[in-house]
Amino acid sequence: MTIESLEHDIHETKDEGHHDRPVVPLAGVVYGDIIYWITILATIVVIIGSIVTFVTTNNYIDPNYLLSAIWEGKNVEEIWVGAVGAQPDGHWYLPHLTTGNGITAGGIALGVFSVIPGIIGAAYLLFKEGERLFGVLAVLSAIITSVAVVY
Amino acid sequence: MTDLLKRVPELTFLIVLTIIAYAIMAMFSQISGTEVLSAWSAWGIIVASFLLSLFIAVIAVLGGVGGGVIFTPIMLGFTSVDTLLVRSTGLVVAMFSGLVSSGPFMRKGLADVRLVFYCAIPIIIGAMAGSQVAIGMAENMGETGDAIVRLLLGCVLVFIAVMFILGGSKTEYPQPKKIDKVSEMLNIKSRYWEESLNKTVHYQPNKIFLGGILFFVVGFTGGFFGLGGGWAVVPVLNLVMSVPLKVSAASSGVLLAIGNAAAIWPYIVKGALIAVIAAPWMIGQVIGGILGAHILAKIKAGFVRNILIVLLILTSIKLLSRGIEGLFGIDIPVL
Repeated sequence: MTIESLEHDIHETKDEGHHDRPVVPLAGVVYGDIIYWITILATIVVIIGSIVTFVTTNNYIDPNYLLSAIWEGKNVEEIWVGAVGAQPDGHWYLPHLTTGNGITAGGIALGVFSVIPGIIGAAYLLFKEGERLFGVLAVLSAIITSVAVVY
Repeated sequence: MTDLLKRVPELTFLIVLTIIAYAIMAMFSQISGTEVLSAWSAWGIIVASFLLSLFIAVIAVLGGVGGGVIFTPIMLGFTSVDTLLVRSTGLVVAMFSGLVSSGPFMRKGLADVRLVFYCAIPIIIGAMAGSQVAIGMAENMGETGDAIVRLLLGCVLVFIAVMFILGGSKTEYPQPKKIDKVSEMLNIKSRYWEESLNKTVHYQPNKIFLGGILFFVVGFTGGFFGLGGGWAVVPVLNLVMSVPLKVSAASSGVLLAIGNAAAIWPYIVKGALIAVIAAPWMIGQVIGGILGAHILAKIKAGFVRNILIVLLILTSIKLLSRGIEGLFGIDIPVL
């Protein structure tokens, strides 16, 4: 690779125009679309959870207490001890998915989780397109992120 | 705007659903309020959070900085909300605009998927380490830890502002003098269609190995401070690795989502991410992220830089003063 050949590639040529639009890699499109639509779904769940939190009394933790405690500047441990007696150490929202807090937290978690299926979809296509190195990197990313979910 | 709402029906749906939701919450709320916060104040905080988040998301997507770099310093500098709560919500703010803008950026070919997955691994590992250290520090150092965080973050923001000032407009289409051997070996040569110039721009990322090391540091800082890391991802991609500014901003958004996804789980399982506060910020980020992603493709790359620089300088001053106040007991009347 010489700097001259790269310069030729970097600079626009007079002949380029609409006919030379680059093809968008399918792996990227698949990654983006999976994440996009799961995030949209997660946002809808969060909106519904917010409504349930505010307009019903079906909550794992009283939102009156939560909002006041946060605004007062209490730390995380103090807030949880005051609410349910102890700070959680796990996916606390899973057993409470029928409550307002649980639905809202579950929606946020769903959005955060969307990265993993997105990466897996992209990795599959990268391998299929012969981009093995980047397919392996994508799989590694998915594995490391999954460790963060369960650890 | 009307054209955008017609072209992106899911955006219209989310906006309408959000308006209806907040109206229902206002009319039928079971929140009775407390001595600290009245019922209407509680609703007001939720709606104000959403609107502020929307604004931050549009600005952040355009600047490729993920939103956390605006949210977290402002909240740490100007409110009494616990620092761990602010940082966890900051990661939500940093992440969701990046998540939702991934789709449009990838479809337009602005974000390079191979570059993203190369950079993702050091960022993820760094981010996970950063969030674990943040939680450990909060559990063991209390208010002293909070003051240290504020002080350090103020310094980081000054550094970021200087980087943006010195970066300048010459970096929109960087031209490396020489391509190193590692970069040649990986051969992530690419090109994208620049709508604002109506032409194809070719590029090849350079200094790949150095970029990887810097991304670990960026990931750690993002996970620790709840900034997300986009503030540094763009300069690393653009100034160090010679990636065009718009591709850097777009790839940054995608990378933020991946890196922050790993960083945020420790906060979730420890209960440091409280949904009632995080929810309006998430919703604002998603809607603002979609808006910003569609605007980015059409504008010149360096437009938002000046707004970000002013915000960074103002919040860094406040953070430095609060950090010094907390650590040394010196009262500094600033902002």
